[in-house]
Amino acid sequence: MERRLQVLVLDDEPIVGKRLQPALAKVGCDVEVFDAPRPALERLAATRFDIVVTDIRMDDIDGIEVLEKVLERWPDTRVIMITGYATVELAREAMAKGAFDFIAKPFKPQELRDVIAKAAEALGFAGIAHAVVGESS
Amino acid sequence: MATEHDEGVPAAPAALDAVSVERAFRDRPSFGIRARLVLGFLSFVGFAVVVIIGAWILLARLEDRLRFLEAVDRYTMEIQQTRRFEKNYFLHGANLQDMQDHLAEARRLLVAAEPDAAKVLTATELGRMRRHLDGYESALARLVAGAAGPGAAPAERSAIEAALRDNGSQMVAVALELAEKERASVNRTLALFKRLPVVFLVLLLAFSVIVADVLARQMVRPLGRLMNTTQRIAGGDFTPLTPSRWYRDEFSNLALALNTMMRELAHRQEVLVQSHKLSAIGTLTAGVAHELNNPMNNITLTAEMLREDYATLSDAQRLEMVEDLVTQVARAQRIVRNLLDFARESEITTERLDLGDVLRAATGLAANQIKLSGAKIAVEVAENLPAIHGDRQALSQVFVNLLINALDAVRKGGRVTITAGPAREAACVQVVIADDGCGIPAHVLPKIFDPFFTTKSKGKGTGLGLSVSLGIVRQHGGDIRVESAPSRGSSFTVVLPAAMVPRVDPTGSGPPTPSPASRPAPRA
Ligand SMILES: Nc1ncnc2c1ncn2[C@@H]1O[C@H](COP(=O)(O)OP(=O)(O)OP(=O)(O)O)[C@@H](O)[C@H]1O
Ligand SMILES: [Mg+2]
Repeated sequence: MERRLQVLVLDDEPIVGKRLQPALAKVGCDVEVFDAPRPALERLAATRFDIVVTDIRMDDIDGIEVLEKVLERWPDTRVIMITGYATVELAREAMAKGAFDFIAKPFKPQELRDVIAKAAEALGFAGIAHAVVGESS
Repeated sequence: MATEHDEGVPAAPAALDAVSVERAFRDRPSFGIRARLVLGFLSFVGFAVVVIIGAWILLARLEDRLRFLEAVDRYTMEIQQTRRFEKNYFLHGANLQDMQDHLAEARRLLVAAEPDAAKVLTATELGRMRRHLDGYESALARLVAGAAGPGAAPAERSAIEAALRDNGSQMVAVALELAEKERASVNRTLALFKRLPVVFLVLLLAFSVIVADVLARQMVRPLGRLMNTTQRIAGGDFTPLTPSRWYRDEFSNLALALNTMMRELAHRQEVLVQSHKLSAIGTLTAGVAHELNNPMNNITLTAEMLREDYATLSDAQRLEMVEDLVTQVARAQRIVRNLLDFARESEITTERLDLGDVLRAATGLAANQIKLSGAKIAVEVAENLPAIHGDRQALSQVFVNLLINALDAVRKGGRVTITAGPAREAACVQVVIADDGCGIPAHVLPKIFDPFFTTKSKGKGTGLGLSVSLGIVRQHGGDIRVESAPSRGSSFTVVLPAAMVPRVDPTGSGPPTPSPASRPAPRA
């Protein structure tokens, strides 16, 4: 059986994870969701994920820090940032620091799937891209 | 600025007062300083005129008396002369004609002096004099008749002699007595005249002291009151002056002018508050828009997934998603409503406020600025904190301003603490907004409350935040103190008088404690 894409979603709004979990599972991802950065970082320290989706603005530790930690530990993991209105600056900073892409709130599930598909392609997961395209058509 | 007010909302007391106070001033009878000075001097003139008229009347009376005294003396002399000739007549039988002449002269004098005499003598005294003169005259007439006839009876002769002697001596006695009395009275009057200038001087002195004192008091008291008012105005208290006297004068006009000035100042202040509020709203809006993205994102994701998977979801799952939609919409609404409440232009209304509520509202409004700054914020409200009286919007504007200043000052990961508790001043509460940010250098500190003073870049700070906040707090009878040093961060303390406290007394006997009119001590 083909290896499934390992995705970690981190956003301090619980509903984001709750909705993205089935949305991404449908296109062949194994999804783990976190609504606090600390447990997510613990998990990331132990396990490698193909793709990490993280909100930039969070209370404790912000997305940039998560990005840095992830890339330090797993340099070929693709990190996708979720940004808000007033954090375009931060998004730019994130891109400079090696984020794969960013997506602005509010976004539709399909928009994220497209970005993930791009990232998967970059990682060499052709299957995901097909599944995504198949799903959206 | 809206001047009419909604029903049920208590009108701003200042606006109502201004009209009635002005009417109260205008309705008073006018009694100007010039009028009072004129009145003061007129009273002097009146006093002098009264004294002069009195002296003149007394002098006229004295003149009458002297003239009368002279008449009495001459009368007495004539009578005595008559009596001397009477004696001669009875001894030698001569001089009857002389007697008659002198008596006629005495009669003439009496008649001439009668108008004066009427002023000095009583009717009975005058009657007595006349009676004796009449008696003497008739006796003399009989003597003349008897003396003309050679055969005069000796008995009749002696009767006439007795009548003459009797009336004569009486006349002399009365006249002498009269002269004596008159002389004494004239001497008394003269003595009075001698004292008069001294008495007049003393009275004049006392009178001028009183008049000067009254006039000075009337000038000094309102001047002092106006001076206090200017200090009050400097402190930000714009309550209009009310009339304190029954009349209207130049000071009333000055008070009216001050009231107008205070109204204008209050109006300017309001405009300034409003314009700074708009700029604060601009700042807050950026944050609110960002904050809105979260519920919107939740709504988008949930709605999209509901549509996508509608057929495959269980009823329970669909219900859960719909409920998420409902709560997220409510959240969005709450975020917007907070800002709209703050932005709404409204009449100043004073109500009982819980400081904790106001602080929560303010931190809620700035929630995103807080998030964006990356600062930690802690709000601590003491238990059983007395309520305050004030305008909810205006006070949340103050706390938003101070909070945003603090957030601007701290670096990422800095701390801002908001502590509400009882103040050092009696019957006051205070809110301390402290940060561990960049602090304020000593040479800048005295300027931070000045309007338009800012160290922030153009477009970021208007420099009105603190001046507007201080204005609002002073209007509430409070004050803002600041302590800051570049190494320690800053702490702004807002002191506000507590409202009437109906203490929840377990025995139920404690009456409400009135909040004292005393204001917290002015900033040093
Ligand atoms: N908590 C603070 N820490 C350091 N400096 C402060 C603090 N609060 C105020 N200041 C200084 O006082 C100045 C005046 O503040 P004020 O709130 O009146 O205007 P502003 O903040 O510059 O402009 P605005 O409030 O319109 O955005 C600020 O520019 C800043 O230099
Ligand atoms: Mg400010």
